[in-house]
Amino acid sequence: MEDLLAYLHFVVLPQFIDALIIGVALALVALGLTMIFGLLDVINLAHGELYMLGGYAAFTLLGWGAGYWSALVLVPVLVGFVGWGLEELGIRPLLPRADRAIVTLLLTFGVSLIFRDLAQVIWGTETRAVVAPLAGIAGAAGVFVPVYRLFVFGCGLLAIFATWWLVYRTQIGAVLRATAVDPSMVASFGIPIRLVYGLTFFYGCALAGLAGVLLSPIYAVFPTMGHDFLVMAFAVVIVGGMGSIIGAVVAALLLAQVQGLASLWIPPVWAETLVYGVMLLVLVVRPGGLFNRLGEA
Amino acid sequence: MLKTSNILSFSAAATLALTAMPGANAADPIKVGVVTPLSGTYAPIGKQVRWGAELAVKEINAAGGVGGRQFELLFEDEEANPPVAVRKSEKLLQQDKVDLLTGTVNSGSTLAVGQLAERNGRILVTTVSYAPSITGAQCNPNVFRVNANAFMQSNALTAWLVKNAPGKRYFFIGPDYEMGRSTISAFQDDIKRLGGTDVGATFPPLGAKDFTPYVGQIRAARPDVIMTATAGNDTVRLLTQLKEYGILNEKLTLAGAAGAVTQENIGAMGGAGEGFLSAAGYSADIDTPANKKFVAAFKKEFQNDPDLFGADTYGLFYLFKQAIEKAGSTDTDKLRAAMEDASWETPQGTKKIRKGDHQAIVDMVVVKVKGNDFQTVGKVAGAEAVGPDKCDKF
Repeated sequence: MEDLLAYLHFVVLPQFIDALIIGVALALVALGLTMIFGLLDVINLAHGELYMLGGYAAFTLLGWGAGYWSALVLVPVLVGFVGWGLEELGIRPLLPRADRAIVTLLLTFGVSLIFRDLAQVIWGTETRAVVAPLAGIAGAAGVFVPVYRLFVFGCGLLAIFATWWLVYRTQIGAVLRATAVDPSMVASFGIPIRLVYGLTFFYGCALAGLAGVLLSPIYAVFPTMGHDFLVMAFAVVIVGGMGSIIGAVVAALLLAQVQGLASLWIPPVWAETLVYGVMLLVLVVRPGGLFNRLGEA
Repeated sequence: MLKTSNILSFSAAATLALTAMPGANAADPIKVGVVTPLSGTYAPIGKQVRWGAELAVKEINAAGGVGGRQFELLFEDEEANPPVAVRKSEKLLQQDKVDLLTGTVNSGSTLAVGQLAERNGRILVTTVSYAPSITGAQCNPNVFRVNANAFMQSNALTAWLVKNAPGKRYFFIGPDYEMGRSTISAFQDDIKRLGGTDVGATFPPLGAKDFTPYVGQIRAARPDVIMTATAGNDTVRLLTQLKEYGILNEKLTLAGAAGAVTQENIGAMGGAGEGFLSAAGYSADIDTPANKKFVAAFKKEFQNDPDLFGADTYGLFYLFKQAIEKAGSTDTDKLRAAMEDASWETPQGTKKIRKGDHQAIVDMVVVKVKGNDFQTVGKVAGAEAVGPDKCDKF
């Protein structure tokens, strides 16, 4: 019994805490993806590359002598504008088409390849390091967590809460939700739909950029880092319900726990497979995901 | 009579041409085909191979060549891709009629080109490929290796660690695929044989982003030494995250495969790789007159330090020179006989080819990461590191 308690305390609990932090980071990436999908029916395959751009932007700004904290504010804005540009120049002309789901999928896939190659040309293939602004380890009752990871957790929670508040408690959010349900009705009220689309892209991509800055000291920066989260983020969006904000957060936390805790008992490679098993199960039992789409809740 | 001898020599020449062994004129150059990756992921390795070959050939040719014949290099880009390597080697053998082949980096390329060389009655020497099978289970009478293989790295590193690293508890981490599993199992076997304790091993997926799921296991195992077979970004993340979680301290020794920490990824670790130990067949800081002369010439020519790939390829051409002089021709059977059991001088000292499996016996150096550089901290004699001959094909 004592052994079991020690096991829970020193093995399972730290694993749970680590997975919780990864889950919050994952939610940041998935939130942008699900908002863009919920509003525009666009599956943004370049989302991982925007996360990568966030990492590189942080690396470059720090190299120019900017402080970490200014990078934390600046980078999401920069990446947000890249996203806005992508919407304005690439997605917008394709939206009126009936097959927009598939053509925007192809477009964003192409864009992701271009961004990855551009990163290789600009920054080279070597891995780059971003130094964490906070060092040290916090410990309580024999469980240790690096201080910087706690900071990432706090920032992530804050961003998630801000997103929820923005979408469900503000005028802008009401417009956004209404647009997701019936864009032409919203347009008939004289609301500039184009701006709503552009801003959503801006915000979703800024979240990916924020994740890029926050995670760069932990995971390092290199051209193909976008892959790391994208596949998991898609699983999150599917499990949570395509376009659902609460769903994305719950699913991100859930899947990170499934993967983290499972890799204690089964080979880590299989833990990843298990995550997709959960996704498959959700698709079979509740094809719409655990929660409702944007605008329906 | 005259006519008969003409016909005889003509048909002899034709036979030779058919078997791709043209009779050589004293003034003909000795053509060496270098099939090496000049583009793609392994391009930095191919660059060193090319530089090593060019420097050696320049020196040998300037000093009068080999019995009056000059070396001529023919480069082909193999893209570290075995099918491409085979296609380019076929061209070198059939069209350019090269006398010797070298340069292959990817172990798969070496194995495939080796078979091709055997069918064409030519010799291939690798100066880079690590896979033990090249001079082991899949050894080939026409293939030689002058660099240290993966077993030699493991033997030398573990021998040094057991003698010098404080503590006996060893923990192992390797990417979950063939290379990681086989490297770690070599480390484990050697450590156990030498009296160390295996306190656990873990195999994260290749390309894992977060190593925190393994931190608990590592902490619980209380290792004195962590040995890893990760490479590239995986090593960066593993070591920075171990540092982040406070696992790395002055009492813990870090060690691993030669490819785990390299010039490519060392800068990204922010000091987490400090003190990392690995074993290789060469280090630019080897303190001998021969090596100093080589490093100076290399730097002057290419404005870069040589690494093990450059040094091993450079050394190979002096083996070629010695063997061709001894054989008196570039005839494959005579060359093979001259290369077997040959010992010759290279920047890193005397190397000797073992006749039984065509593996060169190379003195190993143990290097330690200090800042962004590698420092030699120990040596292990080649005879001690090379291990048993496992080739039974010739």
